[in-house]
Parts: sequence; structure tokens; C-alpha cells
Amino acid sequence: MIRFDDVSVTYRGGVRALRNVDLRIDDGEFVVVVGLSGAGKSTLLRALNGLVPATSGSITIDGTEVVGAQSAELRAIRSRIGMIFQTFNLVNRTSVLNNVLMGRLASVPAWRSTIGLWPATDTEIAMQALERVGIVEKAYVRAADLSGGQQQRVGIARALAQEPSVMLADEPVAALDPVTSRQIMGDLRRINRELGITTMVNLHYLDLAREFGRRLVGLRDGEVVFDGDIADVTEETFRHIYGRAITDDDLLAVDGEPTE
Amino acid sequence: MAAGPTTATDGRPPAPTGAASRRLALGALLVVLVGWSLTGLDVTVDRLLGAPGDAWDIFRRMFPPAFAEAAERGVVGKVFESVHIAWIGTLIGALVSLPLAFLAAGNVAPAWVRVPVRQLFNVIRAVPELILAMILIPVTGLGPWAGALAIGVHSIGTLGKWATEAIEGIDEGPLEAVAATGGRWASSMRWGVLPQILPVVTSQWLFRFEINVRASAVLGMIGAGGVGSELVSQLVFRNFPAVGAVLFMTIVVVLSIDTVSAAVRRRIIQGAGRAPGNATDGDRNAAVLADLTGIGR
Amino acid sequence: MNGPTIAARPTRPRPGARTWVVVGVLITYTVFAGRQVGFDISTFWNVWSNPLWEKFWPVPWDWVLDWHNVLDPLLETFQIAVVATLVGCGLALPLAFAMSPLTSPNRTTMVVSRSVMNVVRAVPDLFWAKLLVTAVGIGAFAGSWALSVFSLAVMVKLFSETVDGADPRPLEAAKATGGRHLPVIRTGVLPTVLPEYVAYGLYVFELNIRASVVLGLVGAGGIGRVIEAQRQYFRFDRVLGILLLVFVVVIVIEQVSVAVRRRLV
Repeated sequence: MIRFDDVSVTYRGGVRALRNVDLRIDDGEFVVVVGLSGAGKSTLLRALNGLVPATSGSITIDGTEVVGAQSAELRAIRSRIGMIFQTFNLVNRTSVLNNVLMGRLASVPAWRSTIGLWPATDTEIAMQALERVGIVEKAYVRAADLSGGQQQRVGIARALAQEPSVMLADEPVAALDPVTSRQIMGDLRRINRELGITTMVNLHYLDLAREFGRRLVGLRDGEVVFDGDIADVTEETFRHIYGRAITDDDLLAVDGEPTE
Repeated sequence: MAAGPTTATDGRPPAPTGAASRRLALGALLVVLVGWSLTGLDVTVDRLLGAPGDAWDIFRRMFPPAFAEAAERGVVGKVFESVHIAWIGTLIGALVSLPLAFLAAGNVAPAWVRVPVRQLFNVIRAVPELILAMILIPVTGLGPWAGALAIGVHSIGTLGKWATEAIEGIDEGPLEAVAATGGRWASSMRWGVLPQILPVVTSQWLFRFEINVRASAVLGMIGAGGVGSELVSQLVFRNFPAVGAVLFMTIVVVLSIDTVSAAVRRRIIQGAGRAPGNATDGDRNAAVLADLTGIGR
Repeated sequence: MNGPTIAARPTRPRPGARTWVVVGVLITYTVFAGRQVGFDISTFWNVWSNPLWEKFWPVPWDWVLDWHNVLDPLLETFQIAVVATLVGCGLALPLAFAMSPLTSPNRTTMVVSRSVMNVVRAVPDLFWAKLLVTAVGIGAFAGSWALSVFSLAVMVKLFSETVDGADPRPLEAAKATGGRHLPVIRTGVLPTVLPEYVAYGLYVFELNIRASVVLGLVGAGGIGRVIEAQRQYFRFDRVLGILLLVFVVVIVIEQVSVAVRRRLV
């Protein structure tokens, strides 16, 4: 279970990205986080795996405290959290398989990963991750030679290879077209259901949020202004979270586009 | 009617006066500087006019170059020795500088490590290879090893600086990704940084090799191996055809290495350019199109 | 269609024969070169304990800071650098224009100037110095000439890249007015590339200061002559003192040059 207790994050320069955030997320939940740019969505996710240090408050995952954790401890925590990025963050010049294997870095001895001599068990895990996202046939293709949607799948596979208990996706589809975006969101939802991994997804597009989310958390100016079931969400809710009327830019597909 | 001045040029802005006088001052300064330098160097007009003539005279006397004589004396072997020296020196420089560069880059190393390592690079770079060789010869003895070491140590400075700049120019996304999986700093370097910098760094090594071939030829002049010693001895005897032969062979070898190295470097950079460090918008759009049309799924 | 027909796992590709050949050649050559050069791993730990290091210390500062001994030759080095930079860079300007397809008057000029520059750059700079010393006699005069050639080579290399990359539009406009070649260059390209030219010129000046130290070792004047003389007397303590002093001077000049360059570009 993930707990945020009165968590605040203030960046150097005085920007208050998160203010007194309280959240409880049970195992296996699929949470969608929405909010304007700068509302604190990215900070929320990165505070969870310590990429951004929280200024105050407590964040625990299954009882382990994240705030203040140091090197080895922090790495151990991170190894159980898989992260997916908007810009994929793949190593472009190397193969898909090598990229996925990076998910095993925390459990493979340093010398082995450095020279690329991955143990067979870890290679097997990586391959299975690739199979789960449906691109195992691209295992030895250069990462940069794939399409955007495929690259993000590799990103998902990398996170899966960690055998994580939590998955964080920071605007995973912002760089993808509508059709691919739905496919990726579908993959994330399927993985959450099949493997029971707690999933938190930052989304920019409100229709995607409504379509795929089960629980919605709305951030505005670093504060949680909505936390509830997706069924309870209306236009009004979104307007409240955004603080303004919804425009076409906030929607992935304009009316008339084919849905899946 | 109007009380103020109405001249034909009213309305035009006045010409800025600063620039012209500044330029004049600069020009005057340069002239003074040159004049003072020339007199300091005891350059008189007749020496000045005579110099090209003297140089041309020597140049003329180099023809025809005494190739047969040079071949006999093993000059070709000496030229190749310079190449070997440059190769080993560059290799030493490359292998030592790369790990150090990771410690010197602003985006991956903490300040207390970064600053001393960068200063180390600067200090090493400031010492010319010739001086280094001079210092090393009493220790290692005369011969190519002193030359290779001198070149190697000096290259650590230059290659280190270039590699550091390469590291500081990378896309930091993959670094974040490695950190997010719980990997250590070393893994971040191996997977996040190294793949991105390897093409440009290898190209830098080759470029340095080109420069080092010239440097090693020069080092021979003080006895650190290679063809320099040949040049000096023939000059001392004023055996200009032999000098011509030495020069000619040096030029041929240097130019060949330059050409091959430039071609290899170009291929390396192009191979890397095939897949940009992080997909640009154009690439993403193309990828999106491919996805939409079902090609590549 | 959602039935997952998991694709077969591909086999791992092996690096081609060509890769192995290249790697093999490189390794073989390295071993060969190492032996030719007399690679001696023990140097890396032996060098520290060599008794020779004692001769470097203490530095006789009174001798080093003496005008006649060191500071005057240092001044000479400075003057050599000034002359060499101006001559070399001065010649480099028209030469770079002659070499670039953008600004060259005709194809023959371009080809000829490029070939000449290639050969000039293929000759190590100190070889030039030694040749010129033989030709015109020992001293700062030869040094200035040698460094001029060196400056020319470096400047042409740096500056021609700038010229090649210059914005062609003003040049096109100038050509369209129907002017003759030189005025066209003067108005269409020169203003664009001038800041970089001056910046490179300052950089070359820095290089020349350092290079003229070394030049003196082959008799071409400046502080290098003093260093070589002291080295031959085995007065390494003086050598170290001179080197330290030169190091300081170089750093100062470098800082000034960087500051000026930043204001230019």
C-alpha cells in the first residue's frame, strides 16, 4: 500500500510543487492523475521513487519510508517501482533486449551488467516482459529503429522486467498519436488487471482518463482537489480541477474519431 | 514660424561616433604592437626581404630528394616508428582519459571530485609534449618509449577535456531511467552515458591520433624516437636532398593517415546520426505515421 | 482481434566476420606497436622513485625572476607570438576565402589553395622551425617565420570551416548587384565572419605563446632557448622555475583572451 502523509515538495527557488498531499493507494489499484501542466503530477510520481526529494511529510510503500532514504536503501525501493516516461528514455543505440535488461540492473552484479554478461534467468525475465507487451520479435532490433508506440512498449517491458509492485507512468502517451495512445493505455490497464501491479498514470487527456481510469486524482497548484471513483466524475469535476473550462486541447480525440 | 533649427537634414539620426574612433584606436594599437615586436626581434628590412630567398634556396636544394640513400638508412622504418609511438600514446591517453572524464563532467560527478579532475586536465594540457619528453628522457632513457609516454600523458589532458564536454552534452533521459530502476551510478554511466558518447569520443580519439603522429615526428628531434632525429642529423650535415626525402616520406604518411582517419570518423558519426540521441518531433511523427498505417507493427 | 499469438523469440544475432577481422587487426597492431616502441609497464611505478626528481627542487627564484636571464627572453617570446599571429592570420584570411567553394573566384584557385594547405598542414610545425632555422639562421627571426606558418595552418583550418558555414544569403545579394569579386566578398561575407575571425585570431595567439616556448628548443629564439640551455647544463631546478613562470603567464593570457572573445561572439 502506498501512503502520502502531508507531503510537501518545494523546489530550490521557492516553487511549491506539492502542498500537504494526503493519499492512500491500495495494492492493485489503477489510479489516473490529472491536472494542468505544473500542477504537480510529475512531482507526485517522482517523489514516490525519490527522484525528487520530498521537503516534508512521509511517503511509505508497504511500510518502508521513502523520504530520507539513502543510497542503497533508495535503490532497493526504486527497484520495486517501475517507471515509464513521456520521452521513453531508451538507450537508442542498443538493442531492445538490452534496454529491457536494464530493468534487471538492481539485481544483477555490477560487473556482469557492465560487460553485458546477463545471467540466463534475467534474460528469460526480459524476454517474458517483451512477450507480455507483444513485441518480442523485435528483441534484437536497435531501439531507435522502432516507432513511437513500440518504443513505449519497450519502456513498459523494461519496467515489467523489474518485477515491480508499483508502476508509475509519467504522461506515457503524450508523444503518441490517438490510436497508439489507446493501445498503450490498454496495455497498462491489462497489466494492472493480469498482474495486480499498483499503477499510477499521469494523463493530460481527459477523455483518456475517463475511458481507462478507475480512480481519479486531480491536482491543482500542488494540492489534491479531487480523489474518487471515475464513475463520479463529470465535466464539472474537470472544470474544478483545471480551474477553467475544458478545451479541445485537453481531449485526445475530437468527436468523430474512431474509438477502439 | 518655428523657433527651433530647421535644417535640411532634420529627422535623420546622428551618425554614431563611438565605433569609428574605437576601430581607429584598435588599429593604432595593433600597429604599435607589431612595430615594437618587430624592432624587438631585430628584424631589419634586408633580413625581411632576404628571408624568403634563403628559404627558397634551401627548398630548391632539396630536389631531387635522395630516396635511395634514405631507404638504405632505414628512414621509412623511422617514419613508421613515429606512427607506432603515436598509436600507443593515443591509446594510453584514451584509456586513461575516459574514466577520468566521467569524474569531471558537471552532470554526473559531484563538485568535490569534478573540480580537481578538471584542473588536472588543464595542467596536463598546458605542458607541451616536448617538455614532457625532456623530463621523461632522463628517467626512461632515450628512445620511443619516452615519446609514447609524453604523448600519452599529454593526450590525457586534451582527450579528457573533449570527453568531458561530450558527456555534458548528452540527453539525460536515459540517466533518469537507470536511476528509476534502482541502478547504481556506475550502471548509469555504462548504460545512460556511454552509448550516447561513444561515437563522438571514438572520433575524438582518431582525431587526436592524427595530431599525435605529427607530434611524435617532432619528438624524434630530441631523441624520443621516430623520424625527427633523421631530420635533425641531415640538417646538421646540410644534406638537403636527404632532408627532402625525409620530409617527403613524412608528408606522405601523415596525409595517408589523415585521409583514412577522416573517412573512418565520418562513418562513425554518420552511423550515430542514423538514430538521433532522442527521437525528434519529425522522427516521432514519422513513427506515428508508420504505426497508423500498420507498417512496422 | 485480441487472441495473443505470441511471436517466436528471435535468435541472437552474432557480430559479422568483418567486425572480428577489424578487432583482430587492431589488437595485433597494438601489440606490435607496443613492442616496437618498447612499452615498459614497470615505468608506471618506477618513475616516481627516480632520484632525478631531486634535481628539480628547490627552485632558484632569484635567478628565474632576473630580467636578463628569463624575463627578457619571455618578452621575446611574446613578440614572436604577436608577429606570427598577425602574419599567419593575415595570410589565412584571403587563403580561406580562396579555399571555400562559396567564396573562391574560380575552381583552379580553390583546388590549388586546398592542395597547398594540405601539404603545409602535413608537415609537423617543429619541422618547419628546424628548416627555417637552418635557412635563415638561429634566432627569433626564424621562430617568427616558423610560427607564422603554423598560425597560418591552424587559422586556415578553423576559419575555413566558418567560411563554409557562413550565411550565403548576403553573399548572393552582393553577387546580384554585379560587383567584382573582391568587393562582393568584402561586403557579402566579411562582416558575417569577422567576429569569429577575430576570436580565432586570439585563440591562435594563445597557441603561439605556448608554441614559441617549444620552438626555442630547436634554436628558434624566445624562452625555449633558455630552457634548452639550462636543460643541457642539467640545471633542472631552473628549468622547473621557468616552466612554472611560463605556466602562470599562459594562464593569464588565456583568461584575458577568453574574456575578450566572449565579448566578441
